[in-house]
Amino acid sequence: MAKVGVYVCHCGSNIAGVIDVEAVRTFAETLPDVAVARKELFMCSDSGQEMIKQDIRDGLVDKVVVAACTPRTHEPIFRGALSAGGLNKYLFEMANIRDQDSWVHAQNPEGATQKAKRLVASAVGKAAKLRPLEDKYVDVTKAALVIGGGVAGIFSALELAKMGFTTYLVEKEPSIGGVMAMLDKTFPTNDCSACILTPVMVEAGNHPNLELLTYSEVEDVDGYIGNFNVKVRRKQAYVDWAKCTGCGACAEKCPSKVPDEFNMGLSNRRAAYIHFPQAVPKKAVVDMAHCKSCGGRAIGTEPKISEKTGKPILAPCEKACPADAINRTLKWDPAGEIKEIKVGTIVVATGFQVMDKGWFKEMAPDNKNVITALQMERLISATGPTGGKLLRPSDNQKPHTLTFVSCVGSRDEKHHTYCSRVCCMYMIKQARLIKEKYPDLNIYMHFIDVRSPGKDYDEYYTGARRMGINILRGKVGGLEVLPGDNLRVLAYDLDAGSPVEYESDLVILATAMELPPATKKLAQTLGLQFCGSGFFKELHPKLGPVETATEGIFLAGCCQGPKDIPDTVSQAKGAAAAAAVPLCQGRVKIEPTISEVQTEKCSGCGICVPLCPYNAISLKLHAEKPRATIDITQCKGCGVCTAACPSAAIVLHGYEEGQIFAQIAALTA
Amino acid sequence: MPAIILDSEKIKDSVRRIMDLGGTGVLKCVQCGACSAVCPGVKAGFPVLCRMLIKKLLEGQFEELVEETSTWGCQACNRCTEVCPQGVRPQEVVFAYRRYQASELAFSSSATTSQMNLYGTGHAVFTEAGPLREKVGLPAKAPTSAYDEKAQKEIQTLLDDSPMGELGLF
Repeated sequence: MAKVGVYVCHCGSNIAGVIDVEAVRTFAETLPDVAVARKELFMCSDSGQEMIKQDIRDGLVDKVVVAACTPRTHEPIFRGALSAGGLNKYLFEMANIRDQDSWVHAQNPEGATQKAKRLVASAVGKAAKLRPLEDKYVDVTKAALVIGGGVAGIFSALELAKMGFTTYLVEKEPSIGGVMAMLDKTFPTNDCSACILTPVMVEAGNHPNLELLTYSEVEDVDGYIGNFNVKVRRKQAYVDWAKCTGCGACAEKCPSKVPDEFNMGLSNRRAAYIHFPQAVPKKAVVDMAHCKSCGGRAIGTEPKISEKTGKPILAPCEKACPADAINRTLKWDPAGEIKEIKVGTIVVATGFQVMDKGWFKEMAPDNKNVITALQMERLISATGPTGGKLLRPSDNQKPHTLTFVSCVGSRDEKHHTYCSRVCCMYMIKQARLIKEKYPDLNIYMHFIDVRSPGKDYDEYYTGARRMGINILRGKVGGLEVLPGDNLRVLAYDLDAGSPVEYESDLVILATAMELPPATKKLAQTLGLQFCGSGFFKELHPKLGPVETATEGIFLAGCCQGPKDIPDTVSQAKGAAAAAAVPLCQGRVKIEPTISEVQTEKCSGCGICVPLCPYNAISLKLHAEKPRATIDITQCKGCGVCTAACPSAAIVLHGYEEGQIFAQIAALTA
Repeated sequence: MPAIILDSEKIKDSVRRIMDLGGTGVLKCVQCGACSAVCPGVKAGFPVLCRMLIKKLLEGQFEELVEETSTWGCQACNRCTEVCPQGVRPQEVVFAYRRYQASELAFSSSATTSQMNLYGTGHAVFTEAGPLREKVGLPAKAPTSAYDEKAQKEIQTLLDDSPMGELGLF
């Protein structure tokens, strides 16, 4: 007969404030198989754990039930206590009397106490029938993948590479750098974004352990922690990157013009182009969607021969290329090529996009002089469309009055309810940079309230007020277009309690940060979840900020939520450290609470095979007959196969039939 | 001006009363002021409208505002509802408060006149246009409630049975 020890936790007042802990303990003593029932203020404390260990050492108990908070955070602690006491750690069961009881029934102490008794009885019923299980281990591939080449991805990848692991950095654009490369200067130090990022980009490009896979996208991921198989599609650049020197001669000759993504559409680029001047790798791309196939040079065709000269007529780009990297005669595959890589862990750092201004009809989004903050960033950048001169887009004239509008799409029930976290600061930054350069400009900034909680941020904000930048509390209600490209700002001064109206030459909207819709497909491939704000969900909002619910997959940067650069870099390095743990260990543990087929009972009907959501089951020959076999590395212990097997041939360890029935019996007694 | 005395019981009472009268979104307000930025009433100089009215109500000033005339400056254009980022529907709060003011007969005499007109003729604004109509070849009496006793009776019955009737104006 089992000797179950029951330990009821007060969890301070979390449990004891609602539930009568002593009543639950006394009740536990009356249950069959219970050898001892105790209570403690904090079972997870040293003294609480010691209590369990001592009872095991004394031979009092051989199964343990802790009635406490939640297995999500505390099961490993108590399992550890069992091991330390000399008992198999899977002879442990938790009754969740906090999350599922005292917290949800806080208004009904009596009912909550009754429920706690039931939960304890159920756990004891199961615990009495538990059997020891052994952990299993598999080897890991000592390589890592980082998806996204922005500042988060670059730092994650560099950290992993420096630790000595082969690291692949996948970026969809032709160059790494992400949004940070587009910024002019960065708050609160006003250092030039490109100047501080470029050396890191170059370091990433040159690191022997780091392989850059730019102009590429992750197509498919399968496998599990330690052993992921990844298919990466290298998009077709129509340029031989092995030969391309990044001289830009092709772009100079290309006649086709397309809005430049890097300048947020404020200028044009060519169909043959280099992403931006500091690009890493600095390689050209021919954007076939906008290529005019000059001189009839469609891809994969032989050139026409000139009647005058008798020489082949080449396209301007291929003629201009001094390295012979562009050869339009070649039959390039438009789908690009698939590269298969094997990695042990994955860091997702796919970043964010700024919301389109078109959503905000009240803000005159069709007017050229209403721009997003990222467009403003390009407008004042030395590498931007005006070479760093502040000229408004409608007529290339210097504006005299500028208006910054905060919380456009953020803190808004119609769009995103969250705060985008960096807008206040980057608006102040842009205002300060402009005011420093052009002190005669009038700058008005409208905030619901200014949020500047980072290191040195508030000093930066108060500095802006001292510089004579006019900061008004109150959200802008709308913009009216006036003749002559000007705008009338309809605002409100909350402190004065009166409306404010004035004419402005240029209006900058701080539109919200959001997850790009294109990353949804990646989320499906990786099994990532979304949080209420639409970003990727971390494992735990406080204690698991870089982990995800999928083991071996980690998050860094703005794909997890809006972040400034210091926080992004910190999280990226954190994610790299977490992602390196399984690689350092060289093997990963597989929980034994997974399914196993009892081959002698299996009839080989195959019902379980298509039902398994993880593709873990296949039919294999066993004594010349097909029998179900479960791959332990793929099984997640969901139990679908166990429930469906008509021969009851599949056991889910830790949740065996007898154990479940014992729980049901206790709950329905 | 005396200081506002903050009293949580009074605040709760104010919020409950405004919500009961139809201003159900009042607690969602974060005082951003977007409503007042676009409100024609605020621009016309009615200070206690939109954001300021909600602010005062949320500070528990319910009965104190009963004589406030700003609330009658609302033109029901609903721009506030359009721009409010929190779904407060400020116009509904303003109208809810007006209901309270009306129940206390705290509205302007011009409003009373139009109500009396409505009761008598079925039109809030009515001018006798008989001669003008005849001049352009129309019958002097238009086919409206103004010349139809049965229709007037129906309108009066409706008004008598409505919350307006309870005010005892008619």
